[in-house]
Amino acid sequence: MDKKTNLRSKKIAQIRGWIQAAATLLTNIHIPNVFKGQIYQGKAKTVCVPGLNCYSCPAATGACPIGAFQAVVGSSKFKFSYYITGFFILLGVLLGRFICGFLCPFGWFQDLLHKIPGKKLSTARLKPLRYLKYIILIVFVILLPMLVTNSIGMGDPFFCKYICPQGVLEGAIPLSLGNAAIRSALGNLFTFKCLILITVVILSILFYRPFCKWICPLGAVYSLFNKVSLLGIQVESSKCVGCNKCAKACKMDVDVRKTPNHMECIRCGACIKACPTDAIHYQFMGKTCPKKDSCNSQQ
Amino acid sequence: MKAKKVLITLLALGTALSFTACNGGTTEKETAKTESAKTESSKTETTNTETTEADKTETVKADTENTETENTGSDTAQITYEETDTDPSDNTSDSELDNLYQQENQLFADHKDAWDKAFGLMSKSSADSSGNYADFLSDTVESNKDSFTDEQYQTLTDDIETIRKIEEQIAELEKKNAETDTSETKTASDDSSPFNNFSGKDFDGNSVDESLFSKNAVTVVNFWFTGCKPCVAELSKLNELNDAIKSMGGEVVGINTETFDGNEDAIKEAASILESQGAKYRNLSIDSDSDAGKYASNIMAFPTTILVDRNGNIVGDPMLGGIDNQDNYDALMKQIQSVIDADSTEK
Repeated sequence: MDKKTNLRSKKIAQIRGWIQAAATLLTNIHIPNVFKGQIYQGKAKTVCVPGLNCYSCPAATGACPIGAFQAVVGSSKFKFSYYITGFFILLGVLLGRFICGFLCPFGWFQDLLHKIPGKKLSTARLKPLRYLKYIILIVFVILLPMLVTNSIGMGDPFFCKYICPQGVLEGAIPLSLGNAAIRSALGNLFTFKCLILITVVILSILFYRPFCKWICPLGAVYSLFNKVSLLGIQVESSKCVGCNKCAKACKMDVDVRKTPNHMECIRCGACIKACPTDAIHYQFMGKTCPKKDSCNSQQ
Repeated sequence: MKAKKVLITLLALGTALSFTACNGGTTEKETAKTESAKTESSKTETTNTETTEADKTETVKADTENTETENTGSDTAQITYEETDTDPSDNTSDSELDNLYQQENQLFADHKDAWDKAFGLMSKSSADSSGNYADFLSDTVESNKDSFTDEQYQTLTDDIETIRKIEEQIAELEKKNAETDTSETKTASDDSSPFNNFSGKDFDGNSVDESLFSKNAVTVVNFWFTGCKPCVAELSKLNELNDAIKSMGGEVVGINTETFDGNEDAIKEAASILESQGAKYRNLSIDSDSDAGKYASNIMAFPTTILVDRNGNIVGDPMLGGIDNQDNYDALMKQIQSVIDADSTEK
């Protein structure tokens, strides 16, 4: 049984790229809209998608949780975004940063960029930068939209407006290509955000997932639940031979044996694939259970 | 250790559910009520709408600095211009009409100080499309008699009498024109503009139809919604624009997409925001299933401003973004001027 589940964990880790592709497709299902330069505005847009995926993407299925959070917090009608906070806690407790590794379109984008051959740099020495994303979460997502408001209490979505490169990639660029009217509305802010996007793209080729590690406020939210999330990673110490291959394989700079559910772990399964004795595997609700779907039905 | 962890997760799950189900105190409940007109009033539904409504704002601001829409307008405009250019039959009466309008405008220009004051005192809700324009003017002047000096009052009443005569001539000419003219303009505009069969109500409950457009050379229609920050930011500037183009034969009209179908709460809210921003121009509530309502529902980004000519046709491309940006203001003003010019050559 153990052998079998460990193999299944390995299999999941191996098909991660396909799962990411499928998740990206599902979060951006309205593909014809890209050519029309129109945004889908139906009922599904009232629901958030798990990953960082711009609401303004013409193909987007749902709303970006970070964007929605800022919009509600910054609105004069609401003081706090209960619905989205609940959504964060729910997904965080169920999956944690598994979402970053498997479901987030922008994570997949960075993974693909990192596959471009060339010199790769380690981020092991840049660990303090990890805390930047919590500052961004608190300042740009929560405090500024809440506090910097006009006379009738409306704030700007500061993270979306001034930082998020996904917004340019998925929102501004396809919309302006498909729509002449929006092209004429582009200005300095667009240029500034394009520079951010280009920087992130270049860094993503050199480093592994720089945006996820240092900037992403959504990753910061999910990381808070990583230690307690129902889906986790387990290391069987009886099987471990201490070869340290897992720690070397980890691109998020986590030592899975010491901290199997570290806040930075995106559950990508690189360690599971690397382990020569199959000592590492996914678990759900404390049970060694590789497939989250089958686990859900077992509950 | 393990038991503790399970406890924490269960606790967190519980919090998640209570947050999601929670409507967040009275403020949220109140607004939820207005939203529920559109959606069913189940708790999650209303909180969900909160996301979308507010998220629209984000769409607007997120990346493109301003906004965007479909460009249904451009084709329409071209059709109308071609139509009017190749229309020699009514030229004589048109130029006569034009001449009469010019005379009126000349009067306004000659006694600018007095008239500007009078226009400032007008209450828009009482503007009535039927009847002689001079009656409307004299009503305004009479009811505000005390505000003018004797000299001003004299010039105004004199002007009004001249205008009354001009208006009578205009009415006659227009009647004649209408008979020969309708077939052509109708065919051109019927299939192209969502504003041909226009009907709406202003926030005081007065009905408005397509005569809204026919009275002015150009009508600036601004689409906005209450939760949209850039929309609210430009309201005072739109009011300024309205004052500026009034004497040129233009008017600014606001359409708030939340006030569709006479939604009372939304109208109240919109009216209070308009007041807080000092915006006094007309705002209309229209039906969401009317042509204009459908046009507005297809707008993806706010604020969007379009120009509508006398025949109810959209002229040029929709403008995205607020006119509190000086470049946008200048561009819009230029477009307005060209519509007015086209309108006067047309006649």
